[in-house]
Amino acid sequence: MDDRASRHRLAAEDLEAILGVTTALAQPFDLTTMLAEVVNAAKQVLKADRGSVWLYDAGRNELVLEVATGASAIRVPATAGLVGACAQSRAIINVPDCYADARFDPRVDRESGYRTRCMLTLPLIDHRGALVGVMQVLNKAGGVFDAGDEMLAAALAAQCAVALQRVRMTEALIEGERMRQELEMAREVQMSTLPSQMPAVPGYDVFGVSRPAEQTGGDTFDLMPTEGGLVVVLGDATGHGIAPALSVTQMQAMLRMAFRLGADLPTAFRHVNDQLAATLADDRFVTAFIGVLDPLTHRFEFHSGGQGPILHLSAATGACTSHPPTSFPLGAMPLAKLRPSVTLDMRPGDVALLITDGVYEYHDPDGEAYGEGRVEAIARGHGARPMAELAARILADVEAFARGAPQQDDVTLVLVARAPATAVGRFARRVDVLPALFAFTAAFFADHEVDAALLSPVDFAIEELFTNMVKYGRPGGDEVELALARIAGGVDVALTDYDVEPFDPTRAPDADVTLPIEQRSPGGLGIHLTRRLVEGLDYRYIPERREARITFRKTGDPTRRGGA
Amino acid sequence: MLTIESGGDGIVVVRGRLDAAQAAHAQGFLDKVSGTVTLDVAGLEYISSAGLGVLLKTQKRLLGGAGKLRLAGVSPHLRDIFVYSGFDQLFEIEPAR
Repeated sequence: MDDRASRHRLAAEDLEAILGVTTALAQPFDLTTMLAEVVNAAKQVLKADRGSVWLYDAGRNELVLEVATGASAIRVPATAGLVGACAQSRAIINVPDCYADARFDPRVDRESGYRTRCMLTLPLIDHRGALVGVMQVLNKAGGVFDAGDEMLAAALAAQCAVALQRVRMTEALIEGERMRQELEMAREVQMSTLPSQMPAVPGYDVFGVSRPAEQTGGDTFDLMPTEGGLVVVLGDATGHGIAPALSVTQMQAMLRMAFRLGADLPTAFRHVNDQLAATLADDRFVTAFIGVLDPLTHRFEFHSGGQGPILHLSAATGACTSHPPTSFPLGAMPLAKLRPSVTLDMRPGDVALLITDGVYEYHDPDGEAYGEGRVEAIARGHGARPMAELAARILADVEAFARGAPQQDDVTLVLVARAPATAVGRFARRVDVLPALFAFTAAFFADHEVDAALLSPVDFAIEELFTNMVKYGRPGGDEVELALARIAGGVDVALTDYDVEPFDPTRAPDADVTLPIEQRSPGGLGIHLTRRLVEGLDYRYIPERREARITFRKTGDPTRRGGA
Repeated sequence: MLTIESGGDGIVVVRGRLDAAQAAHAQGFLDKVSGTVTLDVAGLEYISSAGLGVLLKTQKRLLGGAGKLRLAGVSPHLRDIFVYSGFDQLFEIEPAR
């Protein structure tokens, strides 16, 4: 202790002064206050009349002097004058008589009327050895700066450097946090514009969902009932950060206003495009599907600015048609000419799938994209299910496909399904109602254009299951309900028997069809054949309601035939 | 509906739908035939397992009397049913022309 104290020759009062300013230096969190504190500390400890701090801008290799508020900072190369020499040498420069030193620039004195006698210039170096800036103190009270002052200044400079560096890092952190908060806020605004609940459209099931990526992305969707029908919007703005969130929010607001004012589709599309072209930055645009669904005529007319593919699943054929966009992305440039819109003819059970590239271009760890084919396959298999379920299935499949690969872009789906064609009939539990039953199925096939070749196997299965219910159900009891629904490429059948004991005919064993004729009997052939003629034969019993329901499907797809 | 009638030359013509509701009617007609009988099913739109039961019972009876039941004019759908039920092994089947 003694040795160190003597070597530094710091008086106890000097140490106290440094400790005092160290406390003051611990307080400020902004650079302006901190600079003032550092200058004050230097003046106080070194008994100097004036002081200033130049900050080092490593990026430009310049020294920067912040001056009074309102004026722009003074910048000098980090090699010029006394401060430059100090920054270069990283050593204290003690000039007892400035006017005798060639490096001194007397112009400042002439302008301010102040007379600089002596000057101490010292580097501010932080604990990691990096140059933070250069401090200058002028005119020691009652003399010039001596070797003791230099020692004191060095001790003080280390404190000041660390304090300044702390403030600079804090400011950088605050700036980062501010950016993050702004981004979060913009995302919140973007998400808050999404419909909170799905509109009820008679005869339709519409569902939208958007899963934002963590940092970037600008997806939106809208489902807005208007007098002209349901306005359906799916948008995806380019870019990263806050801008895309703002772009799509802007577009959505414009579209809502346009349709509220009664604009038709081409007018709304054209004007929103031109307005976005005028207001968005040159490198920004929004890909957007804008459609109007008329639930009375079942026409779903759309324009798409760069948003595609637009998938249309036909329930009747099971085919998925992929439509390209009708135009370039919105806001890219004003529209000189608009190509005609496209109209989807929504037949019973049809599904329109509007999905952003966050799904199609989701990459697995091997770099393979999810693609259109996978979406189509799920749509074909589950297009008759509620749209919320179909969306969940697609999202789950994307997640499984990704095998943990992070979501890089917003993922948004809007699914629009026309209710499948259905018919429900009730039939007395007697065999002589079979003609009425067959008339019912024949009428349904004709009304909904189901392939006539499927009628016989469907009738066969219905007859077998129905006569089973007649044989084993409660005689004279309730009627049996037959419900038919049009599905992709065929028909879905449900037979419901009420107030019965559980009896599952679908578990009956196959008939042995290889026996010689003497041993053959017609028993068991009905279910045996039903299993082979239709698909997905399934029995459910609900004990609370004493209700037995048998369902099956029949489609023209030969690969889907159930049984052997 | 179902019609079943004799067409001469040991041919019986059946038309319409042979379902559980019509099985008894068809059985009543076929119980009266004998020898080798060709059943023309070209006009048969539909057959259920009840109808198959009628054919099986008739075949067993005719085979016992050294006769048999042949099926002519079998449509693809009926053929599916005969194959799935193994009836193609029990009957001579002549496809629809």
